[in-house]
Amino acid sequence: MEALGITIPGVFSQVVSFLILFGVLYALLYKPVLRMLDRRSAKIREGLEAAENARREAAESRADMERQLDDARAEGQAMIAQAREVADRFREEELAKAKTEIDAQRERAEADIQRERDAAIQDLRQEFAGLAISAAEKVARRSMDEEAHRELIEEFLREAPGSGNGRR
Amino acid sequence: MGRLLANPKALTALAALAILFVIGLAGGALGNEFGGGFLGSPLTIIELKAEPLTAKPLIGGFSITNTMLTAWIAIAVLALVSYLGTRRMTEVPGRLQGLLEAVIEGFLGIAESVAGPGKARRFFPLFMTIFLFVLTSNWLGILPGFGTIGRFEPASDFIHHKEDAAEAAGKRFDPAALKMHVFEGESAIAYLPFGSVDAVITAEEYERGELEEGKRAGVIIPFLRSANTDINTPLALALIAMVMVHYWGLSALGLGHVGKFLNFKQGPIGLFVGLLEGVSELSRVISFTFRLFGNIFAGEVLLIAMAFLIPLVGLVPFLGLELFVGFIQAFIFAMLTLVFAATATISHGGDHH
Repeated sequence: MEALGITIPGVFSQVVSFLILFGVLYALLYKPVLRMLDRRSAKIREGLEAAENARREAAESRADMERQLDDARAEGQAMIAQAREVADRFREEELAKAKTEIDAQRERAEADIQRERDAAIQDLRQEFAGLAISAAEKVARRSMDEEAHRELIEEFLREAPGSGNGRR
Repeated sequence: MGRLLANPKALTALAALAILFVIGLAGGALGNEFGGGFLGSPLTIIELKAEPLTAKPLIGGFSITNTMLTAWIAIAVLALVSYLGTRRMTEVPGRLQGLLEAVIEGFLGIAESVAGPGKARRFFPLFMTIFLFVLTSNWLGILPGFGTIGRFEPASDFIHHKEDAAEAAGKRFDPAALKMHVFEGESAIAYLPFGSVDAVITAEEYERGELEEGKRAGVIIPFLRSANTDINTPLALALIAMVMVHYWGLSALGLGHVGKFLNFKQGPIGLFVGLLEGVSELSRVISFTFRLFGNIFAGEVLLIAMAFLIPLVGLVPFLGLELFVGFIQAFIFAMLTLVFAATATISHGGDHH
């Protein structure tokens, strides 16, 4: 022991020195640096978590937006379809209305024509009766007066077939 | 190699190195045999023990040794660097803070990989402090001025000490084997000057009065000596490490830790194995101590020898080697402490079967 230089004061002094160094380094180095390292790693973890949250939120809002867009699109489609339907119905209605009007007009026109024709036939018949009378007058001028004659022809025409509504 | 020689700068550096080598060879102890030796100085008197800084003990026989002083310098350096690095801690670290953080994070990572995240924080301060202290001490010891400049101890005192030491060890004192240096001048601070390779005198010659007129004989007691070249320092570290290892073992396992060494459960074989375990625990203190002490002391002697043989450049490769050895020894000491602590806090698997 002595030859190697091991001495009690020597060992004691170095033990004390080392313990002092331990205390100094603990206070000046390990504590502040480890605290800083822990704080930084906590901060990084927080940052990563925040980024993850932001990413998830962005994805969520994106999905939300897409859903809203889809809804809006579908709604728009529905509105267009409805509008088309309304327009179709309106057109049909207008078409039907126009058709009935045209029909009515045509019927009215036909009735008018019929009436005109009847009137014309009536006129023609009267004219014809007049002509027949005058023709008969010429034939049998003296045998009958004009009044008796007319009565006779009127009677004849009334009894003749095809008279009345003017149609054959 | 060809490209190296083509580069004029490299060529100049190489030539300068070669010239320095030749000058060193001629001026050193080797060249001294052939009439050179203008640069060299005699081999330093290598002392195994740490030497006291003062001629007389200070208080009650206790004297401050040069290795204690070096340990304090190492502590001061570490404290100063820590203070400067952590004075203004910022979220974005500066260079020194970044370095300290990198070192601490790296070693904490090592501690976690060995002891697991929970225990790592517990073992880390001791682990780190051992590493930093041993590394700083070892690297400080490589600086110039260590072991070469010191106070002058006169021949009479030196011979007296040696006689006392030989008597205490029960050996015969041999004056012919005890070498001292011859100095000129009266300065209290001594160093070995250039071209003094032959300025050596033995105690026998000194006592016969062969010393030249106007000169004085004696030795240098260096002011600074690498802390781990004094066996007290590694021994102190080893004791602290093993005490802490067993303290952790006891606090983690309670009596189970004692049971590793005093094992009565498994009959005589268990008891014998336990005692062997105890002996191996004790031997760890010794292996811790002598591994560090031997490596660093040998390194110091190697540097002294190379500076003696080939001054100027003979030292250079070995300085690199000593940097490496200093780091490796610091790392080994710290790692072994960590591993012992980790194993001491794990109960033996056999206890649960």
